[in-house]
Amino acid sequence: MLSRIPGIVWLLGTLLVFFSAFGTRFASAPNVVNIGTQSAILLLLALPMTLIIMTEGLDLSMGAVLGLSGVVLSILLVKGFALPVAFAAALAVGTAFGVANGVLVVALGMPPFVATLGMLGVAEGIALVLTDGQSVVAIGSTLSGIYSRQWAGIPFSIFVAVTAYAAFHLLLYHTRIGTYVFAIGGNREALNLAGVPANRYHVLIYALGGLMAGAGAFLLTGRMSGGHPTAAIGMEFDAIVAVIVGGTRLERGDGWLPGSVLGVLTVGVLKNGLNVMAVPSSLQIASIGLLVIVALLIDSIRGRT
Amino acid sequence: MMRDQSCCAKRLKAIVGAVYDRAHSGKLCPRVLEIVRGHPLMAAPCRACIRSAHRPRLQVALVVVLTLSLVSCAKPADDKAEKTGGESSAVFTKNQTNPYFRTVRLGAENAAKQMNATVIQYIPTKQDSIPEQLSEIEDAIIKRPGAVVFIPVDSKAMVPGIEKLNAANIPVVNITDRVLGGQSISFMGCDESSVSLNTGRFLLQKLNGHGNVIILEGQGGSQNNANRVGAFKQAIAEFPNVKLLASQPAAFQRVQALHVTENLLQSYPQIDGILAANDAMALGAIEALDAAKRKALVVGLNGTKEAIDAIKEGKLLATGDCDGFMHGCLGTMAAVRHLRNLPVPKEFIFSLMVIDNSNFAGMDVPYENRMCPPWESVVKSN
Amino acid sequence: MSSSRRLASAGLSAIAYRLLGVLLIGAVLALSTDAFLTTTNLLNVLRQASLIFLVASGLTLVILTAGLDLSIGANLGLSACLAAAAIKSTGSITIGIAAGLACGIFIGVLNGLMITLLKLPPFIATYGMLWMVYGINYWGMAGDTIYGFPAAFREIGSGYLLGIPIPVLLMTVCLIVGGVFTRYTTYGHEIYAIGANAEVARLSGIPVRSRLLLVYTLSGAMAGLTGIVYLARLNSAEAGIGDPLLLPAIAAVLIGGTSLFGGVGSLSGALIGAVILTLVLNGMNLLTINGNWQPLVTGVIVLLAAGMDTVARKRNEA
Repeated sequence: MLSRIPGIVWLLGTLLVFFSAFGTRFASAPNVVNIGTQSAILLLLALPMTLIIMTEGLDLSMGAVLGLSGVVLSILLVKGFALPVAFAAALAVGTAFGVANGVLVVALGMPPFVATLGMLGVAEGIALVLTDGQSVVAIGSTLSGIYSRQWAGIPFSIFVAVTAYAAFHLLLYHTRIGTYVFAIGGNREALNLAGVPANRYHVLIYALGGLMAGAGAFLLTGRMSGGHPTAAIGMEFDAIVAVIVGGTRLERGDGWLPGSVLGVLTVGVLKNGLNVMAVPSSLQIASIGLLVIVALLIDSIRGRT
Repeated sequence: MMRDQSCCAKRLKAIVGAVYDRAHSGKLCPRVLEIVRGHPLMAAPCRACIRSAHRPRLQVALVVVLTLSLVSCAKPADDKAEKTGGESSAVFTKNQTNPYFRTVRLGAENAAKQMNATVIQYIPTKQDSIPEQLSEIEDAIIKRPGAVVFIPVDSKAMVPGIEKLNAANIPVVNITDRVLGGQSISFMGCDESSVSLNTGRFLLQKLNGHGNVIILEGQGGSQNNANRVGAFKQAIAEFPNVKLLASQPAAFQRVQALHVTENLLQSYPQIDGILAANDAMALGAIEALDAAKRKALVVGLNGTKEAIDAIKEGKLLATGDCDGFMHGCLGTMAAVRHLRNLPVPKEFIFSLMVIDNSNFAGMDVPYENRMCPPWESVVKSN
Repeated sequence: MSSSRRLASAGLSAIAYRLLGVLLIGAVLALSTDAFLTTTNLLNVLRQASLIFLVASGLTLVILTAGLDLSIGANLGLSACLAAAAIKSTGSITIGIAAGLACGIFIGVLNGLMITLLKLPPFIATYGMLWMVYGINYWGMAGDTIYGFPAAFREIGSGYLLGIPIPVLLMTVCLIVGGVFTRYTTYGHEIYAIGANAEVARLSGIPVRSRLLLVYTLSGAMAGLTGIVYLARLNSAEAGIGDPLLLPAIAAVLIGGTSLFGGVGSLSGALIGAVILTLVLNGMNLLTINGNWQPLVTGVIVLLAAGMDTVARKRNEA
């Protein structure tokens, strides 16, 4: 019976037990909440990344787009616009980049790696020009106020992450669009033969990526009380790794959304646990590499590759 | 079969309820194994039912429940309060790649040893990462250090981090780069812009206020970069006969600085001075000059050992510095002193140094031999 | 016409298309500034490109098999640091070079074993290796640099032979040897076949696992070699020198026409990709484009180059 449980669950469980036993106050409520808030933004990116990877693509621009959206959000707040307006603008910017990615990959047929790498540069460049390379602070306290609010001891960002997960879960597993996503990754011809405009939905997947980058910008800007052009660059790699560690594979064309959550949590638990145990930094860096390899080794040994 | 499945579900709910109740009544740990072993769910018919019904969700739930119970059974919080002697401070630096921060960490450890205290080093695994330093602060708060010695990755973006430390009543000694917000018990460092300004002026004065210069910028998005480059440009503005030919980015990296300088040497037949926003870039520029057999005065920032050696060889004109080792020393001493209710100045500005071939001797000491000076010799009581 | 001839001519027109990209950028720069079309500048560009190409060449072989090697930057850094430490402690340049190469090869072999024996996906295996190598490197270097090497050694990076910079010569040798290897040896054909369809390749009797091990070892070896060239050029080793190289190396390979899905691509394409990326930096410096705008310009050029490559590929398939 235990063989039905995916490897990532075992790995996460082992880490939890290990850190609880050897890390002071790891299992305390504040620390668990920390893991949640620290992982929330990454989860927002990992959800659309799962869909993108399922369609054998990649989005390397998410971090830079998040940064740009955050910068737009912050600049508008500084100029006195109301939060909903600023946020809508941030979402629009993110979605625009997502659509651009989708068009490049789907309509023009560019390899996703280079297309999104180029867009990374574009997003980063625009963000640097808008901010002249510095943080945008003085955004007022509304956003950080919302970010710090808690209900029943659970912070705002965790609610956002859970809601996002619920939405994506519904989308992927209980709607028509979800079946299209599976089909685009697995058997695109079938979709086209059935008369469904596969390209349109494929672009939609990348657009979702941009949209979630915009949403992530809301959280990160609240967390930093400001917008920063390059703070989130590199997060997309973390998201890709979390997705793959969680069970979705780059080559296979199918995916497991709950796995992405587990992947994000596993990385978050590891980083948090290593800090709580005051492990020296070089060892932390090596452990992250080891974790990633072990995570997939577990599955490989059990013949699930 | 159907009856057995619903029986298992009900029993699983019961086991979860029992664990939950026990947790709430504070009597969890010794009883968990008893509960689990003695529970009807563990009886043979239900085990078989779970296995044969292939209920992965039940299995996952079981694993999660057991894990959580073990988690709550963890060693009780180690609240051995650390009083005088043995105070633990958390030291935050920006990255593992810049030798400057290594000297800060060495200073911190040296000071802690002298004062019979301990430090825990926090360095982001992703070098210079703002979100990661914010997470490190949260993780550090869980460990309840006595105090924090803090260098921000970004002086504006880390303000929420300081505020979190303030909310947790952990005193903060801010060193090296001033955080533009939050409450610190002390700031000990230099004004980065002044260091850069003076270093820039030094080079321009050596040029007799006359000539062509280029600036090598650091990483876009870094507040340090903005401060240093801004100060360089301010220095240049003070000398009307000095022409700024170009200001190009090289990401604080040596090889990029080499390539950028190489390229610029092609555009400009006459370059008299290069102002680099850190030592690594200055040294890369020097390599490019050597390879092209051209000469120019070069200054850097950070005061690294390699820069001092280059000054000794006559290749680098000067490096601007605010001794990182001393920051680590005094910052940690201040933190421990505060915990021992000894006076600590609200602000301590180190005298900045433009290190050139006339005054490098004091800095040219191998790491192993450097010792923190006594507090009183540095901080005159006011 | 025979299939190999057709393949060759298809490859040729694709190369022509990409060379067009290089020539276009070159023309724009030549018209915008006098400093571009000088021998010194062009040799500089080639030397700068060679640093990317040397590491991208091994990477091309890996990507041809539908794999990926994310550890090349970390590998480069560790190899350079080990070579530096070896030269400092033994005083011998040969031992230093051997140490650097050995490190590169060792990491490559480990990657290959993880992928062939442990059946880990290349993305994860090499990503995990990246972190582990950085961890070891940061621990060993402890934030310091190792600097100051004998002039004879530094010739590798900064020296000239017959007026040509040595790294450029290394690049040319690598291109020729690599080109022969990929196009005219069985090994090369097998690598392409594995990339096109690993199952079919295996069934046709190609020893897939040992070829995969070979390409990852070669990628590691080239990373090690590039680390030594970096060390010689910079006269200094630090843990993070390879970090900025990873994405440009992959971009160079992909812009040059090699597909991440395997089976299609060439070393000459990687060279063109490397040259394009270097020309962009060269141009931005010569034209003193404001630092904040540079990522934007680079991103746009990458998109344009990749776009041209996509068009070239589509025309060939048509």
